[in-house]
Amino acid sequence: MLATEFLSELKAILRDSHVQVEEDVGHPLGNSGRVTVCPQSEEEISNVLMYADNHGKKVTIAGGGTKRGFGGGTEVADLLLSLAEYKGVVEHNVGDMTLTVKAGTPFQSLQEYLAEYNQTIALDPIWPEYATIGGVIAANDSGPKRFRYGSARDSVIGMRIVYPNGTIIRSGGKVVKNVAGYDMNKLFIGSMGTLGVISEVTLKLRPLPKYESLILLSFQEGKMEEIRAFAVELLDSLMEPTSLELLSPSLSERLTGNHAYTVAISFEDVESAVHYQENFVKRIQPAKTNITILPLKEARAFWKQFYTIAPNGRESGSSNEIEAALKIGVVNLDALQVIKASHILQDAMNIAVEAHGGLGHGLCQIYIKGTGEEVVAAIERLRQFVIPLGGYVIVKHLPLALRQKVEVWGEKPSYFFLLEGIKTKIDPHSTLNHGRFVGGI
Amino acid sequence: MAIKGGQIKDTHIENLAKIVGTSAILYKKEDLLAYDCDGFTIHRHLPRAVVFPNSAEEVAKIVKYCHEYDLPFLARGAGTGLSGGAIPLNGEVIISLTKMKRLVSVDLENRRAVVEPGFINLKLTHSIADKGYYYAPDPSSQYCCTIGGNVAENAGGAHCLKYGVTTNHILGLEVVLPNGEMIEISTNGVLDPPGYDLLGILTGSEGTLGIVTKITVRILKNPEAKQTVLAYFDKVSDASQAVSDIISAGIVPAALEMMDKTAIEGVEAAAFPVGHPKDIEALLLIEVDGISAGIDEQIQEILKVCRSRNVREVKVAQDEKERERWWANRKTGFGAMGAISPDYLVQDGVIPRSKLPEVLERIRQISEKYGLRIANIFHAGDGNLHPLVLFDSRKPGETEMALAAGSECLQACADAGGSITGEHGVGIEKREEMRFIFSDEEIAAQTNIRDVFNPKNLLNAGKLFPTPGRCVEVKRNEKMK
Ligand SMILES: Cc1cc2nc3c(=O)[nH]c(=O)nc-3n(C[C@H](O)[C@H](O)[C@H](O)COP(=O)(O)OP(=O)(O)OC[C@H]3O[C@@H](n4cnc5c(N)ncnc54)[C@H](O)[C@@H]3O)c2cc1C
Ligand SMILES: Cc1cc2nc3c(=O)[nH]c(=O)nc-3n(C[C@H](O)[C@H](O)[C@H](O)COP(=O)(O)OP(=O)(O)OC[C@H]3O[C@@H](n4cnc5c(N)ncnc54)[C@H](O)[C@@H]3O)c2cc1C
Repeated sequence: MLATEFLSELKAILRDSHVQVEEDVGHPLGNSGRVTVCPQSEEEISNVLMYADNHGKKVTIAGGGTKRGFGGGTEVADLLLSLAEYKGVVEHNVGDMTLTVKAGTPFQSLQEYLAEYNQTIALDPIWPEYATIGGVIAANDSGPKRFRYGSARDSVIGMRIVYPNGTIIRSGGKVVKNVAGYDMNKLFIGSMGTLGVISEVTLKLRPLPKYESLILLSFQEGKMEEIRAFAVELLDSLMEPTSLELLSPSLSERLTGNHAYTVAISFEDVESAVHYQENFVKRIQPAKTNITILPLKEARAFWKQFYTIAPNGRESGSSNEIEAALKIGVVNLDALQVIKASHILQDAMNIAVEAHGGLGHGLCQIYIKGTGEEVVAAIERLRQFVIPLGGYVIVKHLPLALRQKVEVWGEKPSYFFLLEGIKTKIDPHSTLNHGRFVGGI
Repeated sequence: MAIKGGQIKDTHIENLAKIVGTSAILYKKEDLLAYDCDGFTIHRHLPRAVVFPNSAEEVAKIVKYCHEYDLPFLARGAGTGLSGGAIPLNGEVIISLTKMKRLVSVDLENRRAVVEPGFINLKLTHSIADKGYYYAPDPSSQYCCTIGGNVAENAGGAHCLKYGVTTNHILGLEVVLPNGEMIEISTNGVLDPPGYDLLGILTGSEGTLGIVTKITVRILKNPEAKQTVLAYFDKVSDASQAVSDIISAGIVPAALEMMDKTAIEGVEAAAFPVGHPKDIEALLLIEVDGISAGIDEQIQEILKVCRSRNVREVKVAQDEKERERWWANRKTGFGAMGAISPDYLVQDGVIPRSKLPEVLERIRQISEKYGLRIANIFHAGDGNLHPLVLFDSRKPGETEMALAAGSECLQACADAGGSITGEHGVGIEKREEMRFIFSDEEIAAQTNIRDVFNPKNLLNAGKLFPTPGRCVEVKRNEKMK
C-alpha cells in the first residue's frame, strides 16, 4: 500500500505537522520509514502503535538516529517513529537522587541539567549530544567508565513502555531498590526497540565526582605482556580506577598524538584521593613507558573528544569509503588480545582500524574503514579470532547492503528459542523493528 | 541402603530415587515436616518428597521426570527466604541444592568466581579474603543462605547501597529450564551476551523460571580503608533528615542503616548488645569505604551533618573489633526480636528516602491501630524499610492482625511512591499486595514471560502473582504455626 493511503488515518491520530512523508527513503544505512511520525505524548505513541499493529504496518523506532546503522535488514519500514519530540524532564527528586525523563531527551542535555545539582547519570555513551536516553538504553550502550559504574542495567530503576498493541506497561518503579515481580526493566534494556517503545525512564543518579583526572600511560615498545602485567598489578591493588581502557596505537595517535598502545586510567573521587592514586600509578610505572596526567578540565576535554570517535548513524555516509563499528565482548583481560589482533589486521589488510577495549570489563569497540569487501573480510577474521576465546562480535554500524552479507549479531545462541518466545509473546506480529535483533527477531 | 520406612507406595518416589540414589531422597512424613515452610513460617504445606541431587545432570533428570509426569516441583536452598518462596504449596517435589555446594573456580585477575547454587554466600568471601577480595552482596543471613537462593530472590544487604544488589554481580548462569533442558548464559562471564537480558530476568524471578545450577559472580577487591560511625538521635525525624542530608552532600556511603527505639530494645536484650542508650528514639550506623586519603573528609562531613540534625551522641569506631560488634548487633537484629516477643513478622517495603519521616509516622499509627508493637530496622540509605510486627501467635486472632498490620505498612510504602519489597521477594506473602503497585495488565505482562520459560507452570506455581479473584484472607486450609 502506498504511504499516502494511510496518511489520512495517521493524521487523525497525530497533528498534521507531526506526520511527514519521506521523499528520499533510500538511506544507505537503512532503518528508515516511508512516513515519519513524531508523537508528542505517550498517548500518541500508543495510538500510532495500535494503528500499525492492527493494520499490519511495520514500525522502525528512532531516538536520535545515531544507531541507524545498527542491526536490521529492512531498508524502509512503513513508519519511522521518532522520539525526537518526546523529550524533557518529568520529575527530578533531588534529595532522592532519582530522575524521570521522556525517552527522546538527548543525553548531553540531561547531564548538563543535572550538573547544576552536582548529580550525574553514571553512563558514558558515544555521541551524547545526539543520542537520546531511550536510545542509549534500548541499545544498552556503555563506555570505558563502565568498569566502575556499570551500564544502563545498573542505573535504570523504572520505565514506561508502550507495547506494540498500544498497552502501556510500567516496569520497576521510582525507588532505588525493588524486587516486586520480575525485573522487567532488564528485558527492554538492550532490546533494540524490538519489544516496545520506551516512553519514560527513571534513573538512579550519582553525585558528580568532586574531582577527576586521567592518566595516559603509553607503552613505547608495545609488548602485550608488559601491558598485561601492569593492568594486573593495578587491578590487584587497592586503587579504584574508573576506567582502564587500552587504546590501539592508531586511536592513541588521533587522541593524543602519540602512536603507541596507551592505557587510559581515570580516577574520580575527592581531590586528595585522586592524587594519591595518581602517585600510586607513578610508583608502579613500568620501564619504557610515558606517563601524562590530565587534570580535571583536560581530562574532561579528552573524554569529550573520545565520545565522538565512532561513526555516527545520523550522517549520510555518502563517501565511497565504508565505515564499520564493532562491539566485541571477551573475558576482561582478553581485551588485550582483541586490540592487538585488530591492530595487526590493519597492517595485513588495506584498511584503517582504531580500537579500544576495557581491561576491567572486556568490552572492545573496533572502528574499521576500507572498501566494502575488505571491511567484511576484516569482520570475518576478527570473528574467527574472538569466537575461540569464548567471546562475540556484534556489528554496530555498517551500511545496509553490507549488513546483509555479515551476521550482524553473530550465531544464534543455544537458547535462542527463549529470545524468540519473548519476542512472539510481546510483539506477535513483529510490528516493531522487524528483524533488527539477534537471529532476525 | 534401602529407603527408610520400607515399602514405597508412590512409584514416582521410587523413580526419583533411581535418579539420585535412595540415600538422597526423603519422603516419610516425619522427614518432610522440616520442609513444610521456609523463613516465612505462617503458611505450611508438606512436600511430596525432597530430593538432593549432586550435579546439574541429576537436576535435569529430576526436572525432566517431573515435567513428563506433570508433578509440581520447586528448588530450595537454605530455606531462609522470608516470603514463602520455597514452601511447597502444591505438594511439590522439593529439589534441594544443598549438596551442590562446590566452589568451582576463582579467577582473581578477571575478578570472577564460579559456584554451585548451594554454596553459602559468606563462604565465598571467606575463600578469597586472604587475597584481598570479597563478594559484595551481604544479606544479614549470609552465614547460611545459598548463592542460588540469593539469585532467585535478588538478595540485597547492608552494603548494597554502594555496591548494588545480587543482580549487579551476576555475570553468568547455568540453568535447568522447567522442561529439563539445560542452558548456559555467559558462564564464562563475558558481558552483554547478544540477545534479551535473560540473566537480568532470571535473577529475582523467585525460582519460577528455572533452576539455577551454576553461577558466575563478580568479585571485588577490598576497599583500602573503612570507617564506621554510630549516631544516636532523640527524634526519628532528625535521624531521617540526616540520612537525606548525607546522601545529598554527595557522599555514597557503603552502608547507612537505621534502628528505632523498639528495635534497639530488642538488639540490646539479645546476644550482641553494644550498650546503646535505652532512651534514644533512633540510631544510624553509617559506613564509608574507599581510598584512605578521601575517607577522613567524608567522615568529617557526616559528623557535621549529624550535629546539624541535633544528634545526641556520635562516635567513630576505634578499631575493627568495635566495628564488628556494631555490625553483629545490627545483622542479628531480626532474630533479636525473639528476645522481646514470642513471634514477629518481617516486612520489606521501599520508599523514596525523602519520605522516611512521613512513612515512619504512618507505621507508628498502624502499630497503634492494631495494638501491636512494630520495630524498625532498615537500610535507610536506599529507603528499604523492615517493619517487624511483634505478636503472639498463641493469642487467637493475633497472627491475622499482624499480617494485616504488615500489609498496611506495605500500603503506606506504595502510597509514598515506593514498592512492596526491596529484597525479600513476593513469594506467597505479598502476592495480593502486588496489586498495590501493578495493574492487571502489568501483572499479565509478567506472567506472559513466565509462560515462555515455564509453560506448564509446574515449577513453583502459585508464587509471586496474585490469583485472580482470590480473597486476601489468609488461612484457609493451610496449617497455622
Ligand atoms: C557506530 C557507533 C558506535 C557507537 N559506539 C558506542 C560506544 O562505543 N559506546 C557507547 O556507549 N555508545 C556507542 N554508540 C552509541 C550511540 O551513539 C548512543 O549512545 C545511543 O545508543 C543511541 O541513541 P540514539 O538516540 O541515537 O538511538 P537510535 O539510533 O535512534 O536507536 C538505537 C536503537 O534503539 C531503538 N530505540 C531508540 N529509542 C527507543 C525508544 N525510546 N524505545 C525503544 N527503542 C528505542 C532504536 O529502534 C534502535 O534499535 C555508538 C553508536 C554508533 C552509531
Ligand atoms: C535472619 C534473616 C535475615 C535475612 N536478611 C536478609 C537480607 O539482609 N537481605 C536479603 O535480601 N534477604 C535476607 N533474608 C532472606 C533470605 O536469606 C534471602 O532471600 C536468601 O536469598 C534466601 O536464600 P536461601 O538459600 O535460603 O533460599 P531459599 O529460602 O531456600 O529459597 C528462596 C527462593 O529461591 C528459590 N531458589 C533457591 N535456590 C534456587 C536455585 N538454585 N534456582 C532457582 N531457584 C532457587 C526457591 O524456590 C525460593 O523461591 C534474611 C533471612 C533471614 C532468615
